[in-house]
This record gives sequence, C-alpha cells and structure tokens, in this order.
Amino acid sequence: MNNLCADIGWKSLNHVGEQLCGDHINIIDAGDESTVVVLADGLGSGVKASILSTLTSKIIATMTSEGIALEECVRTIAATLPICKERNVAYSTFTIIRIIRNEEAEIICYDNPDVIMYREGKYEDIPFREMNIDGKIIHKSRIKLRENDVFIAMSDGCIHAGVGMSLNFGWDRAQIAEYMEPLAEVGFTAKTLSTMLTDKCLELYGGAPGDDTTACTVRIRRRQPMNLMIGPPSDRNDCDKMVSLFLSKEGKRIVCGGTTSTIVSKYLGKPILPELTYFDSDIPPTATIEGIDLVTEGVITFSRVLEYAKDYLENNEEYKKWSYKQDGASLICRMLFEEATDINFCVGRAINPAHQNPNLPITFNIKMQLVNELSECLKKMGKKIKVSYF
Amino acid sequence: MKVTVCIGSSCHLKGSRQVVEGLQKLIADNGLKEKVELGGTFCIGNCRDGVCVTVNDSVFSVSPDTVEDFFKTEVLAKV
Repeated sequence: MNNLCADIGWKSLNHVGEQLCGDHINIIDAGDESTVVVLADGLGSGVKASILSTLTSKIIATMTSEGIALEECVRTIAATLPICKERNVAYSTFTIIRIIRNEEAEIICYDNPDVIMYREGKYEDIPFREMNIDGKIIHKSRIKLRENDVFIAMSDGCIHAGVGMSLNFGWDRAQIAEYMEPLAEVGFTAKTLSTMLTDKCLELYGGAPGDDTTACTVRIRRRQPMNLMIGPPSDRNDCDKMVSLFLSKEGKRIVCGGTTSTIVSKYLGKPILPELTYFDSDIPPTATIEGIDLVTEGVITFSRVLEYAKDYLENNEEYKKWSYKQDGASLICRMLFEEATDINFCVGRAINPAHQNPNLPITFNIKMQLVNELSECLKKMGKKIKVSYF
Repeated sequence: MKVTVCIGSSCHLKGSRQVVEGLQKLIADNGLKEKVELGGTFCIGNCRDGVCVTVNDSVFSVSPDTVEDFFKTEVLAKV
C-alpha cells in the first residue's frame, strides 16, 4: 500500500418529471484492497431504467469485487436483465472503475461516454483496447495511478445536455473535458466536481433534463491527517494530557470552543488573539493561537459545519458558500471535507459551566450529538475517523 | 482605552455581533479610532451577564439595545 487514497463522489439529475433516476452508482470495497465503482445507465427513464441500472451496477460491483472475469459479468447481466417489452432488448450501459491498492486503475466502459482523465491538472487520453464480448464492444484500459489523477465517468445524459435547446447538438465529451480541466486541479472534492458538472448540464438543459444525467469523479490523493479538539476534559487534571496528545499527532490542528482554546493557549504559553470580523452574521469570529492552524468558537460553529456536512451528502448545494467563505464554519468545512482524509477528534466531556444557563439553547447533550453526527457524516464521505474522549 | 467584547458562544447568542458593530460605528462616528482600541475575547466565564464588555478592567453587561447608552457613559465620558 502506498500513501495514496481515492476520493469518490457522484451526483445524478433525474429525467424531468421522474422521481427515480435511471442511472445508478454502486461503490464496493472489495476484499483485496481494491475499490470498485460502477456507473450504470438503464435504457429509458423512470422505474424501468432504474431497475435495469440498479441490477446492472449491483451485479457488476459484486462480481468484479469477487474477482470474477469481466466476460462472465457481462454474460450474467445479459442473461439476467428483464427484456423491455416496447423495445425487445435488455439494456444498460456501464462504466467500471476499479482502483487496485491505490496503485492501479482498471477502467471498463460499455457504451457510456469514455472516462475523462486529468493528470497534473491536464487532460490526458486514456489508451484503451477494444474487446468484443458476445457482440458487445467494450473499452478496457489499465493505468498506473499517480497523485492528483482525476477520473470523471458519466452517463450520456451529460453529453446530451442542451440538445435542441441552448445548443444544437449538445456539447461533446471534448468540450466537457475542457470545461472541467481548470476545475479539476483546484482541490475541490470528488463530490463537488461531479456536482459542478451536473449543475452545468442542468443549466444547458434549461432546468429540465431530457435524460438522466450522472457524473462520478474519482480523485487520487495523498492521505492527509487532520486533528480537531473540542471541549474541555471531564477531569480538569487531564487538560495537559489531552492537549499533549492532540499536539503530538501528525497533521493540521483545529481547536473549537472558547474554554478549549484557553486550555490549549495555556499549555502552549501563547495568547489567543480573537478576530472581530463577521464574515457570516450568525457565526462568531475565529481567533489565532500560534502553532494552531484554526481556532473557532464551539457549538454554534460546529452546528453549522454539521448542516453543511448533511447537505454535502444530499444535494450538495451549500458548497457554493463553504468552498470560499472565511467564517469559522466554512474554514472547518474546507479543512475537513476537502483537505483531510484521516481525522482524529479529541473530544472533552466536561459539562461547560458557561453553558449552564437555562436560557441558552446549548446543552452538553447537543455537543456530544454534534460530534457523533458529524463523524458519521464524515465516514459517509469516505474519511477515516478516530474519536478519543477525555 | 481598551474595550473588549466577549464573542463566546453564549454572548454571541445574546448579540455580540450587534454590540461589536454598534461600538465600531460609534467609535468611528466620534472620531475615537486613535483613542479606543476595540478587541474581542473568547468566553470570560461570565455568561449569565452577557454580552460581556470589558473596559480596562471592569466588566459590563451590554445588550444590542443598550450599546449606545453604554458607549456614552462608559466610553465617551471617560476617554
């Protein structure tokens, strides 16, 4: 194993008027330290397409992760998929990206637009060879991975965006590759890159997608540890122990909470220097302590981070705020969602006397719940989380 | 003269931002930028009486509604 990892994120748009998406993504952690991502696009739209693509992606993901040859998978799909009465075919196109030990990628594409790849921020053609499996032409390639490689898989809804509306013939794969190139190297997460592409498609469709549209991005990146401390320890005598453990870890450091910052500041012998600028009227200003990368207020800031995390996992609309704003919550979001891959939480369980005012909507339980919910969200984003309580 | 506003969680919920913005404006309007240094602090452990504002070493309880009176009696009169 090397020091790389894969950040995988996707976003789908439904065909206008449909409640189900006919594209389906399946991501499976296979036993042999590999990850299999399948994007399947079922024929048509709505329920029928959704069933076709769900079956296809599930079958392929499960079979490939068990090490079964592609030919076998494709035959199984052909034999399993229900046949559409109107069109008399069983059909779902698919793209498979298999990341092997974060060293190699195997890319297989059947009738979807070919995967777009960026290396060192520049578009690069992926050399593939053609295979014919029972009359189905399949593109297959295998690439050694490097840090900062970005792969974008998509359903044909992406390249059909705008046909006959804002553009005569839609935009083609080359134009999509050109559109995404400057965005791919900025450091946006895989989910955000996928969202940026589908957002653009939605715009070209004039807000009413004529086809199910899905983008799925895989970013190869270096593991990046991050440490976050929140709350004073339940036993006051543990302050030094907690801070020294927090400071001993590799990676950047975030301190949340007034009392917590005071403990860190005392340990380091460096003053807390609060800012007075309100970048967001609801989020208290941040502060600086020499040696700490970010110092923020606690519960209010943290609640906002949790809101952004939940949105990120759902519609991912709020990234337009947190990806550039300078308030404490946005800064934490960028460090946790974009930069970090491995996050250590140091959580103090003291009941803060400052919060014992019954008029305030802050309780001890809320704080613990925030930490739990946020770490669940971060796990869903594919991050490794370790929580230590004091 | 040093005026410090608490921007901790409790005081924030009670209106630190409005107090800070009020004071910033009053200091500017009265041409006191050279004489009054406005700063922030994290929780000073006096949440019950927030928003806590410290002038030199005395702590005052200020709210967004009383910020103007506070400025007149404690800052403008004493600077």
